[in-house]
Amino acid sequence: MAKVKKAKRTGVKQDMTPMVDVAFLLLTFFMLTTQFRPPELTPVSLPSATAERKLPDKDIMVVTVGAKGDVYLGVDAQPTRDRIFNNYIAKRLGEAGMGAAAVEDSARKFRLAEGFFVGDGSNMERLATNLETMIIQARLAEPRLRPVIKADVTADYEYIKLIMDTFRKTNMPTFNLITSLEALPKPQN
Amino acid sequence: MGGGVAAPESQSSRKKGKKKKTKRIGFTLDMTPMVDVAFLLLTFFMLTTTFAKPNTMEVNLPSKDMTEVKVAESNVLTIRVTEGDKAYWNIAFDEPKPFELYDRSGEKPTISNAFRELLKTESEKIRQRVGEDVMAIVLKFDKKAQYRNLVDVLDELNILRYKRFSIADYTEQDAEEIKKVSGTQPAKPTQP
Repeated sequence: MAKVKKAKRTGVKQDMTPMVDVAFLLLTFFMLTTQFRPPELTPVSLPSATAERKLPDKDIMVVTVGAKGDVYLGVDAQPTRDRIFNNYIAKRLGEAGMGAAAVEDSARKFRLAEGFFVGDGSNMERLATNLETMIIQARLAEPRLRPVIKADVTADYEYIKLIMDTFRKTNMPTFNLITSLEALPKPQN
Repeated sequence: MGGGVAAPESQSSRKKGKKKKTKRIGFTLDMTPMVDVAFLLLTFFMLTTTFAKPNTMEVNLPSKDMTEVKVAESNVLTIRVTEGDKAYWNIAFDEPKPFELYDRSGEKPTISNAFRELLKTESEKIRQRVGEDVMAIVLKFDKKAQYRNLVDVLDELNILRYKRFSIADYTEQDAEEIKKVSGTQPAKPTQP
């Protein structure tokens, strides 16, 4: 009995090198292409639409509107964030009497943050002026930015209108609305 | 799960070649753990990667120094949407008439057929009258309307291939007109 068992367990030897090669190739590919989703500024449930145009993957400026009308602005590239901070925010913080170390600290936070709070419905005028200044600053930092609105389905049109008006005022009449894909309706006619 | 890539053999080959080829034995490394880790990472990245970019809808507003386009009033279909998904339509300066924007019979509200029919019949009427497809649609959203309304209406117009539409401000006058028709009794024939 023992003999039989041993004979069976010689096993098969297989050269696993090619498989491992492929595995590593795939691993490298996925590691390099993965982009981790940044933490959300505010939960947004996207409206669904049939539009299939994709969001460009760089040079975008996203204005996020939460369900309650809280508005955030963010740009995707860190160098752009740096420039916005150094050109504008650092000065403002300095004027407000903040020390150099503190400014440095908030610069680091700013660089890593997906976006920053601009204002909300409690003070529409301040929201409007803030938004306009920040959009202008962002455009100064990176002229190729493409404006994008990412708003919650239940957000009031008031905010969207304000943002659209601001885009228009700052000479960016073309922008994108982020939607989630919906199948084309069944009866097309 | 035991057994390296070339581990089982190493023992015997080393024994055999011990005397003759001392220099060229080389060494075998059990690569199992490394391959295990590699596969683990591979699985992880494969499962977490999303290639899908968010979809977007492009909107072109007229730029601020664009000249006005003149359109005959009788060719303008105005659609107003106010709080609570209430929608009204009118041609030129007619009295706004309410219509159901959403069909709520499904699990999710979708754009109603009434809206599609409305667009089709009105554009057909204008086409019959003018001989050309010249209907222009003006969309007016109250500030208490929802973002959803905007996206849904724009999407529907895109699907039905209406190119001539624009988004306009919802003014005081619009609010008044809507208040008149949404009041209890039907209002008298409209004035401009």
